[in-house]
Amino acid sequence: MNDAVKMTRLHQWHVQQGANMARFGQYDMPLWYRAGAKNEHLAVITASGLFDTSHMSSIMVRGADARRLLQRCFSKDLHRCIGRQQEPLMAGRSVYGVFLAEKGDVIDDAIVFQIDDAAYLVVVNAGMGPEISAHLRSHSNSGGADISDLTDALGKLDLQGPASAKILGRVLADPASVLTELPYFSFTGHFDPASPLSDSVKLVDGTPILLSRTGYTGEFGFEIFVEPEQFTQVWERILAAGQDHGLLPCGLAARDSLRAGAVLPLSHQDIGPWPFIRNPWEFALPYTVDRSGFTKQFVGADALLSQKDSPYTYPFAGSDLRKVTAQDPASVFYSSGDAIGTVLTCATDMAIGRSDGNIFSIASPDKPAGFQPRGLCCGFVRVDRPLQPGTTVRLKDNRRSIEVEIVTDIRPARTARMALAQFLT
Amino acid sequence: MKEIHELDLPDDVRYAEDHEWVRSEGSKLVVGISDYAQDQLGDIVFVELPEVGAKLSKGEAFGTVESVKAVSELYMPVGGTIAAINGKLEESPELVNNQPYGQGWMVEVQPGDPKEIDALMTQQAYLEMLKGL
Repeated sequence: MNDAVKMTRLHQWHVQQGANMARFGQYDMPLWYRAGAKNEHLAVITASGLFDTSHMSSIMVRGADARRLLQRCFSKDLHRCIGRQQEPLMAGRSVYGVFLAEKGDVIDDAIVFQIDDAAYLVVVNAGMGPEISAHLRSHSNSGGADISDLTDALGKLDLQGPASAKILGRVLADPASVLTELPYFSFTGHFDPASPLSDSVKLVDGTPILLSRTGYTGEFGFEIFVEPEQFTQVWERILAAGQDHGLLPCGLAARDSLRAGAVLPLSHQDIGPWPFIRNPWEFALPYTVDRSGFTKQFVGADALLSQKDSPYTYPFAGSDLRKVTAQDPASVFYSSGDAIGTVLTCATDMAIGRSDGNIFSIASPDKPAGFQPRGLCCGFVRVDRPLQPGTTVRLKDNRRSIEVEIVTDIRPARTARMALAQFLT
Repeated sequence: MKEIHELDLPDDVRYAEDHEWVRSEGSKLVVGISDYAQDQLGDIVFVELPEVGAKLSKGEAFGTVESVKAVSELYMPVGGTIAAINGKLEESPELVNNQPYGQGWMVEVQPGDPKEIDALMTQQAYLEMLKGL
């Protein structure tokens, strides 16, 4: 892998705004801006936050073989993945899943957007464009699919939080036609002005965007794809439109603490070179109703079905905000004193706290009077045995030892799945 | 991130390589972390301080400062006995970000050797060190 530091189109803007910058993958990215990571995290829960996510790689897969190829390589069954009725993936819908190696290990996680019958946009993590493109090519029938790596050739920004729809309404040319149903994991428009789809969503200045009801914070909001040349002005336009809605530019620190509280994995940290089973994200696998097998054959499926002694991954929540340093590394200890595993992620969700043992968020409708949380440490552990929710384990790094609870969910009252209409009133 | 010229680096304190500062107040020494340190750490959400009366040598860890980004050790810039701790930081750790040399002080030390402070960096020397980072 090339070791040179890469920058997004907004790099200069980040630096000028006084962001604390750090290397993430190959990219020099903002950790937080002047408001600080805590305020940025809270803004996404109570107002809105804007993230530069154009370090992520996108791959366009086109052609007659495109669907078969993704059905073969991607973990979701594209014939049965939308909604409770398990309908097929269709144009204007997207789905989350993983790309696995033959032995069942995770190469990367991704969202696949079906643009039309023969075009799919595959959004993977920073720096993963070349590897996933090569993986797809190696499984492609000769000439059946055209795979183009759009790494650094597509701008992406995430507008996340309850005020996002109102803010977006101010920059869209025709908000009434765009901000309609748009369910979670659906999208409209196209970033390429040459596509006929680009007519459906334009900003007030005519810039076409692909607007998606997705994100990685657990909160209501949008991912916006735009041609790189338009990226900086779209970013600035949205920020200006959101100023009196409390919109803050947000860095990777807030993105990390928000996604941890929303029980979303960070690829190459919470999922990675070990079999993708026995984790909170098995919804990304195409299990049959009785879970005896998969509804389709795909790369890695056989290895997963024959796994016997894989580790277990669980979310946890602490009793206060103190965290351990997963990179130290940090180990997990059972009540017997046995070391049973390692800490994958440990972050502090600044919007939550405990009251009588129960976790509440500042967004919880039933939060106790005067509730002013200072945050809870949370994240994921990988252990050698099954643990029931409610089990207490001890996490130890080189510095401290904290007791945490194995849980099934972390930050309550998340808004990601709520209907768009609720955020326009 | 603050540019070097934006940093508040008062000249009435001495600085340690680990970015603690020390100010002489009578026979005691007050210790905190520098503006550079708080800016690098980001939002400070928790400060762990020692018991009053603890005897610690120079370079020994006296507590931790926890930010959204990381948990970092605090090191004694001089040896001595902890004479007082800043109890306000328990409820308001953000004081370290807002007033690193004032309300955000951390511990007061009765030094074992009052001359030990002379070995620490002056404002100018610390500024030079930061320029080299």
